[in-house]
Amino acid sequence: MKFSRSFMLAIVALAILATLPLFLSGNLLNAAIKMMIAALFALAFTLAMGQAGMLSFGHAAYYGLGAFAALHLMKGVEQQLFWFPTPLVPLGGAVVGFLFGLLFGWFATQRSGVYFSMVTLALAELLFTIAPTLSGVFGDESGISTIRGAWWVFSFGPDNQVYYLTLAWVAICSLLMWCFTQTPLGRLALALRDNEHRVRFLGFNTHLARTLIFAISCLFTGVAGALLAIANEATNYTIFAAGASANVVLQTFIGGAGTFFGPALGAAVMTFFARVTSDLTRSWLLYQGVIFVLVMLFAPGGLGGLVATHAQKVRAGAWRGLIGPYALALLAGLLLVAGLVFTVESIHVVLTDAYLAATRAAGGKWVPFKLFGTSFAPDSPVTWGLPIALFAAGGLLLPIARRMTLAAWREATALPDVVGSTASPSSPARKSQGAAT
Amino acid sequence: MNASGMTAAEPVLELKGLRKSFGETQIIRGVDLAVKRGQRHALIGPNGAGKSTLFNLISGHYVPTSGEILLNGESIAGLAPHIINRRGLSRSFQITNVFPRMSVAENLRISIMGRHGHRFTLFQAISALKAVNDEVDEYIRKLRLERRRNDLAGDLAYSEQRILEMGMSLATEPSVLILDEPTAGMSREETAYIVELIREVTEGRTLLVVEHDMSVVFTLCDQVSVLVYGEVIATGDPASVRANKKVQEAYLGEEVH
Ligand SMILES: Nc1ncnc2c1ncn2[C@@H]1O[C@H](COP(=O)(O)OP(=O)(O)OP(=O)(O)O)[C@@H](O)[C@H]1O
Ligand SMILES: [Mg+2]
Repeated sequence: MKFSRSFMLAIVALAILATLPLFLSGNLLNAAIKMMIAALFALAFTLAMGQAGMLSFGHAAYYGLGAFAALHLMKGVEQQLFWFPTPLVPLGGAVVGFLFGLLFGWFATQRSGVYFSMVTLALAELLFTIAPTLSGVFGDESGISTIRGAWWVFSFGPDNQVYYLTLAWVAICSLLMWCFTQTPLGRLALALRDNEHRVRFLGFNTHLARTLIFAISCLFTGVAGALLAIANEATNYTIFAAGASANVVLQTFIGGAGTFFGPALGAAVMTFFARVTSDLTRSWLLYQGVIFVLVMLFAPGGLGGLVATHAQKVRAGAWRGLIGPYALALLAGLLLVAGLVFTVESIHVVLTDAYLAATRAAGGKWVPFKLFGTSFAPDSPVTWGLPIALFAAGGLLLPIARRMTLAAWREATALPDVVGSTASPSSPARKSQGAAT
Repeated sequence: MNASGMTAAEPVLELKGLRKSFGETQIIRGVDLAVKRGQRHALIGPNGAGKSTLFNLISGHYVPTSGEILLNGESIAGLAPHIINRRGLSRSFQITNVFPRMSVAENLRISIMGRHGHRFTLFQAISALKAVNDEVDEYIRKLRLERRRNDLAGDLAYSEQRILEMGMSLATEPSVLILDEPTAGMSREETAYIVELIREVTEGRTLLVVEHDMSVVFTLCDQVSVLVYGEVIATGDPASVRANKKVQEAYLGEEVH
């Protein structure tokens, strides 16, 4: 029953994604392509991290290798060295990702925990360092670029053809990764995550198993990199940078590594967030960091965890009671966010060279600064009062919203037969609830 | 040192002059031990005697400093744990060691699927492996964990986790099962329950078990070896070991009032 519901959701999501190009224009369509690629990257990363407990800090290596593999394939076709259909180019990324996953994974999986993470980080940094010197493979500073070859009736010129190519690959790879969780090796991954030591004494070569699982994760990561290369028709060695490896970690945790689709959601949302905010403000990385910290503090299960808890715990028909408190919590949150954004952006403007020059020109006196299309004087009470008022209002509302949310949550998740008993997360309770509904 | 009333069976597990040092200190100091087929063999000894260390040597967690470990006549000393398990020796741990975020059935399935050759199987759904899943059900019944089948192992009561822990080792169907204090930390009733269960599920199997509770040793086991300060000071049937002067001085004296 649970399977079929997730399955239905996946079909609906796929249907929505399939119709999106009818509504989206160039820029948004391009954003959607990048979101899907990020989602695939996060799912592939989670295959190693969430399921087998291998927290890789160097997945940009396989992402980048997949991208370069794809570009070389496309370049070969462009220069008519060989024939290769463009829709199958991601296979090149898959093969290269898998092979390097085996090779690097063989070393990294000798260790567990932090040591594993450090080895993956070091291997990726190694690649980042030597890539610019191997200009035959990775191009020089500007990297390599090429164009998408036409295939059959598709020119792969317009964005929506690229969109559907990406969607098809992301959908197939997601399905394959979900199937992986249902195979004996996929189940073994969970056991390795829980307790690798025990697995060893049950007859499994855990080093081999971890290498294989890591390589499968790298295979799908390579596909994601190849899709990026197809979309951009170019890349350079900076794709190997540690920031790219860190990004997928952040996105996965925000999405929630404990659920299958959570990481995809987190990656899509954060990619969109980055795209929008990086155009608007130079502080967008700060905001991204704030989001990460808040999610880790208040919803450590990530977005996917939130959705899953709601789907499991909230009784049918009990949703209505939650709407009010959630809206209030949202309002409190928005007030605080507004206060934060105003403060951060004001500081940012005041610290720019242009503003400092303006104050010098005014003889060291504060001059008004422009923000959100309005002018604010630094020494005016309005300028100080606005964020303080926002913080105060949000700060006052938050505890109220919190109390109401908790009460509503208790109400919405209480069992009809044992109302009043404290909501316990034990499974017998869950079962009797399932039987009652 | 005579075998008990049973006919002399060949040893399945044999330790010969086994030694293990950590740095300067020798913890296992020349152990000779033979566990015969079909027998339940207890290993007793005071805290820190080296019982767990001996298990770690036998199961491949540590490499012996010197000496031999023979399983069915073949040397297994220094082999990797997974190889030793496949050769037919499976162990449980003194500290509960299960997969806490997996269900009881899935914990057992890991043990069972490996034995069926599904170690790295990628192109088959686990739900389609009928032989494996049937055996999982059989083991759940044997271990009397039917009501806990789909609960997370981490949510089980401590004594149930100990049963699962033992069951996982048992489910690899070893020719020798070695259990490190299966009743540690249990109440009297729980101990009686699990001892009866162990007796049931290890019927006809070869068992080496570390046990502190003497009444358990006397009811469950055919043979007893006493390990004191890294050396086996006596081996025999429970009654003769109980009567042994050296044993009484070194160990039982403090336990039997
Ligand atoms: N890895 C190790 N390094 C150094 N010393 C160790 C190591 N493992 C065990 N020892 C030491 O070996 C001795 C025997 O320990 P072991 O755990 O085998 O005893 P035990 O007989 O199982 O005791 P208990 O009844 O408390 O379980 C102890 O003094 C312990 O400190
Ligand atoms: Mg011990």
